[in-house]
Order: sequence, then structure tokens, then C-alpha cells
Amino acid sequence: MNADPADTRYPHLDLGDLIAGAAGQPVGDRAREHLAACEHCQLEANRWNLVADGVRGLAAAAPETAQPARPRRTRQRVLAGPWRRAMLVAGSAAAALVLLVGVGAVTGLVRVHLSGPSTETALAAVTGCTQVEQADGTLEQVNGSSLVITTASGQPVTVTTTATTFVSMSGPLLSDITDGASVMVRGNSSDGTIKAAIITVGQPFSAVNPPGFVPVQGTVSDASTAGFTLVTSSGTRVPVTTSGGTLVVVPHASPGQLQAGATIVAVGHAGPDGTLSAQAVAAVSQLPSGPHIRESVKVKDCSPSSIEEALGAISAAPVSAG
Amino acid sequence: MNDPHRDVGAPTFTASHDPACDDAGLLGRIGQGDEDAMASFYREHGRVVFAQVLLVVGERVLAEEIVQDTMLAVWRGADSFRGESSVRSWVIAIARRQTRDRLRGRRLRMVDDAFLADQPGSGPGPEATALDRAELAEVTGAIRELAAAHREVLGLAFGSGLSLPEVAGVLEIPVGTVKTRLTAARTALNRILNEKGQNR
Repeated sequence: MNADPADTRYPHLDLGDLIAGAAGQPVGDRAREHLAACEHCQLEANRWNLVADGVRGLAAAAPETAQPARPRRTRQRVLAGPWRRAMLVAGSAAAALVLLVGVGAVTGLVRVHLSGPSTETALAAVTGCTQVEQADGTLEQVNGSSLVITTASGQPVTVTTTATTFVSMSGPLLSDITDGASVMVRGNSSDGTIKAAIITVGQPFSAVNPPGFVPVQGTVSDASTAGFTLVTSSGTRVPVTTSGGTLVVVPHASPGQLQAGATIVAVGHAGPDGTLSAQAVAAVSQLPSGPHIRESVKVKDCSPSSIEEALGAISAAPVSAG
Repeated sequence: MNDPHRDVGAPTFTASHDPACDDAGLLGRIGQGDEDAMASFYREHGRVVFAQVLLVVGERVLAEEIVQDTMLAVWRGADSFRGESSVRSWVIAIARRQTRDRLRGRRLRMVDDAFLADQPGSGPGPEATALDRAELAEVTGAIRELAAAHREVLGLAFGSGLSLPEVAGVLEIPVGTVKTRLTAARTALNRILNEKGQNR
């Protein structure tokens, strides 16, 4: 801000605030409050937003993978190997929409006892927090707020949720793209149309952020099976196309939205009756086929936000690297 | 709970790590000759760097060569990263130097400071109405017609996930000058849009 909003001599937002806002970076509460009440600044913000949208559109339109020629300098021949490999890995990663989710290796297993006969099963430890454990498997059914999953060993495990449990889901969930929904679209742009690779529905979530795609936020309009129109905060209408390969992520879902057959990764506290009281649940419908996919969860610390982000990232990542 | 403003625009890349720490760790491994770390580094930064370079030079092949040189410089000079800036701004600064060298070789100038200094200051100006009427596709097309220096500062501010101080660091100019340059870029954009509108 230039000055106190009440000071009519300098009533408007500083250019830095406007640019930061258009760049998607945090601005102060006072600046937001001023923007909400000031038509002049709203107009300026809309102009900067449109410029920023244009730049992002160009960035999104850039080819997915740069494939430079081999290094030219003979003295750098030793570098050609790793460099070529980096390019190959990067190319396949981009094509497969690999997300860098920061998952680590399983560091150990914790045995817990279930209530039924011969019901010993394995819950994995969670790297970074010894206070919680992890269960993963295939979702068999949803009973109200409880999820019944089948682990890799065929053991049923009940995962209970509460109103505070973070539940995220992802998959080819295009039916969740409805008019009026607030979404974040990432994909490649061509002639002003975005071919959506990943769409986040609802509240933006930092864990959903594959490298290479610049996000464009807005509201869904004219939704159809082929796509929709994204209306940005500046009023710009951006055509968006979707396909069966579009990954839809709902970072804040409810248990009732989860679909049987989805791969579930849950983190929480193991109860004496064998249930897992979940702090966070990720439901992924697009994991690669196979007998079992184990997602080892790694968190920065035991805080709910760390656990939510780790699970949200898994939900956002059809972790197959191709 | 989650801050809804975190995800708008500036990319973050990992959920369970501090990206800055991961990047610094990657550079450490690259410095030790770790090929996998180099691949990870490219995955994390390559496309953004490529998009920024392409925005400035406008030629895909040239942009690819510059990114290649940039990544080779990272491979060779990872040890020189001192943590005084974000890794993203560090690698973009390397790419900018590589771009400048290439354009100098072509007898082109990427940044004409004298030209930039003559640009108008803050305020929407008379052409702002063109931007108010413009569609996104028109703006995108007009950005392509801007001078390289204007495309560069817009790309850094809005396409690279850098903060204004980081943009200033990359361009080696004060933050205030970044703002002036951004305003000049927008004014030039308005002018292009206005001219196109008059020709319709």
C-alpha cells in the first residue's frame, strides 16, 4: 500500500502489491481489503491479471520438452551422458505428468493387531513422524464416515474419518467439473485454448503443482464432456478442453465422494480395535495397475498441515512414472 | 489448514519438502557428479527456464541450445551456488547470461537500457482502455510483439514464479527499476493492442 487506506491522499495500492497479486504471490490483508473496496485498484488489478494471464499462456504454450542437441564442445564429452539422460528422463517425465511429490522409501513396518481372528496386518511407518502410521489398499466400501480397504495382503482394514479428516481424491473425475466450480487449470495452451492436463477443483492446494505447467485460476462456465470455459478474475474467458487423460484433483473431498476401487492411502493413529483413525486420506483412481501399489508417506513433521500436504500430493500424483 | 493463496501462480514443487532445501541438496549432489540429481534438477526447472528463454529469444531451436548451455553450466558450476538466492532465480540468471551471450553473438541486444529509461512511469495512460477491451488471445499475441527486454521482465515477473526482489536480482537492477520496466512493458503492450484495435 502507498499509505493507510483511510488516507485519501494516497488511497491506492502500490504497484508492487498489484504485481504480486497478479503473479499469484501473497499480498497483505490490508491490501486485499483495500482492493475489495476500490474500483480503481480493481481495474488496475484486472489489467495486470490479464497481462499475467497472457504471459502464462505463452509459457504454457511452450513445447513440453526441450530436446537440445548433444553438447557441442568436445571437452564436455564426459557431460554428454548425464545430460542426455537428464533430457530423456525429463521428456518421459513430462509426457507422463510425473509429479515430484517427495515420497521416500519405506523405512520400516509397524505391526498392529486387528480385532478378528488371524487379523494381524502391517501398517507402514510414516517417515518424518513416528506418532502416526499409514495404511494403504483398495477401497471396498464406504460406510458413512468409515472406509473399508483391502490391503496388499488381503486383510480388510477399517479407516475411520471425522469432520476434521483431510480427504483428497483424484482421477478421471470430469463429472466434478460443473458450472460455477472454482478450479485451477494446468495444461498447454494453443491459440488461446488450454488443453487441460490437471484440474484442481475447489480450494487451491499447493501440493497439486506439477512442474512445467503454469496454473490459471477461474470459474467454470459452459461445462460439457469436451471441456468448459474458464472465467478468470479479470473476466477473461479462456476455452479449456478436457479428455480422458485429464487428471481431476479434489483436494477437499468427503468420504461419500470416494469411489470403490480407488487406491487409498491413509495416515492416522492405529486404534486397539485395529481401525485406523485417519488424519488424512488420499484416494487415487489412476494408479498403475498391478497387485498393489504402496505409497510410502514422508512428512516434514507431525503437524496436520504437513500430513495433509503429503497426502494431497499423493492424491495429485498418478505416481506412475511410466 | 491450507492457505488458499499459496497455490496461485508461483509454482512449488514438492509437498513434503522445503523446495529450497531440496534444490540446494540437488545442487550439492550435482556438484558431486550425481547424474540422477541432474535429471531431477532438469525436471524441476528445465521447462520454466525454457519457457522464459523462449519468450525472450522467440526461436525454439535457439532457446533449446541456450537451455542446454545453461544446464551444462549448472552441471559444471553447481558448487558455485552459495545459497544467496533461490535456486530458481540462480538458474534463470545463468540462462539470462547465456541468452545475452548468444544474442550478442548475433549482434542483437537483449536489453536496451536507454530505450527502457525513456519509457513512461506508473499509471495506466491513455492506451489502457485497449487492455481493458482486449481478450486473452489478443494479449498473448501482443506480448509476442513486445521488445525482448519487455518480454523478459514480464516473463520473469509472471511466468517464472519469482518475487519482485528475485526478478531484480536476476536483472541486476533495483526493485524500483523492475517496477518501472514492468510498467513500461504494459504501456507498450497497451500501445500494440490499441494499434491493432484501430486497424480492425
